[in-house]
Amino acid sequence: MGDVFPEVAFTFLGLPVRDTVVSSWVMMALIVAVVLLLRQIRPTALEMVVDFLTDFISEIMRRPAGPFLPLVGSLALYIGVANVIGLVPFLKSPTSDINTPIALSLVVFISVHVYGVQIMGLWPYLKSLASPIFLLPLELISQISRTISLSLRLFGNVFSAEIIIAILFALAPLIVPLPLQGFSIFTGLLQAYIFAALAAVYIAAGLPPRPEQLELEEEDQALETIERELKDHLEE
Amino acid sequence: MAEMDPGTLVTVVTIIIAGLGMTIGAIAPALAEGRAVEKALESIARQPDSAGDLRTTLLIAMALLESTAIYVLLVILILLFANPLLDRFF
Repeated sequence: MGDVFPEVAFTFLGLPVRDTVVSSWVMMALIVAVVLLLRQIRPTALEMVVDFLTDFISEIMRRPAGPFLPLVGSLALYIGVANVIGLVPFLKSPTSDINTPIALSLVVFISVHVYGVQIMGLWPYLKSLASPIFLLPLELISQISRTISLSLRLFGNVFSAEIIIAILFALAPLIVPLPLQGFSIFTGLLQAYIFAALAAVYIAAGLPPRPEQLELEEEDQALETIERELKDHLEE
Repeated sequence: MAEMDPGTLVTVVTIIIAGLGMTIGAIAPALAEGRAVEKALESIARQPDSAGDLRTTLLIAMALLESTAIYVLLVILILLFANPLLDRFF
């Protein structure tokens, strides 16, 4: 059981560095190495990943994924790899330490406002936060509670999976925990998907609604004029 | 029960509460998620074209629903592994 909880690996200038941080560094080196290798060997695989992430983000946010791809895409990649890497011996998944999910959800919390100010401008964004003024406290509460729930959801899922595997490993080693480890790969990837999706939803909620209706109406009008012209042609 | 020392009593109560709390805390989200999946499946059966949209919305909604169960789990993990009351006795 003891190896489930994060432990201090070494102290650097008086700062305790936990082993989850060390495995996070290993993970980053691994991701960079795999990406550099794939770029040499098979660039189409990387293109597939980027295409998947772009489609995913633009489908959820209902707008071009361009400015949001670096943040949301790397969140998805980082959390996905971080949840799975706990299965490697001697490495602990960084997300099973409560500090990592809190840091990630604080990044999301700040970037919601950064994107909002960047796209709408400072004053209109502040106005949109308090559009009827009495809703401002509710808005603030929802901002804080969604940040907390985002981090606790990720931490709870990953940590509970690790504890269940550790308990089963203590009871019946080697064979019995295997299906649960496979299941933890699935839930880990699903949690990465959900974290990225919720980050995209929160960012999209802080932005002005797209004038999609107008575009659709314009398309309808264009279609109607084409139909009318066709009818005129046929009648002639 | 009279000769049980306070630390043991707290531990025993904590373990019982952990089991009970997790049981009750898992029921409500399970029912809610079942309802959500039921409605989503009905809508997919009625309109198969909307399956893609429904799937992403369903996954996000399920994550939000499941977070209540995870809050219960976290409280129970704190009770079991970092019980604030135990420090008063040891």
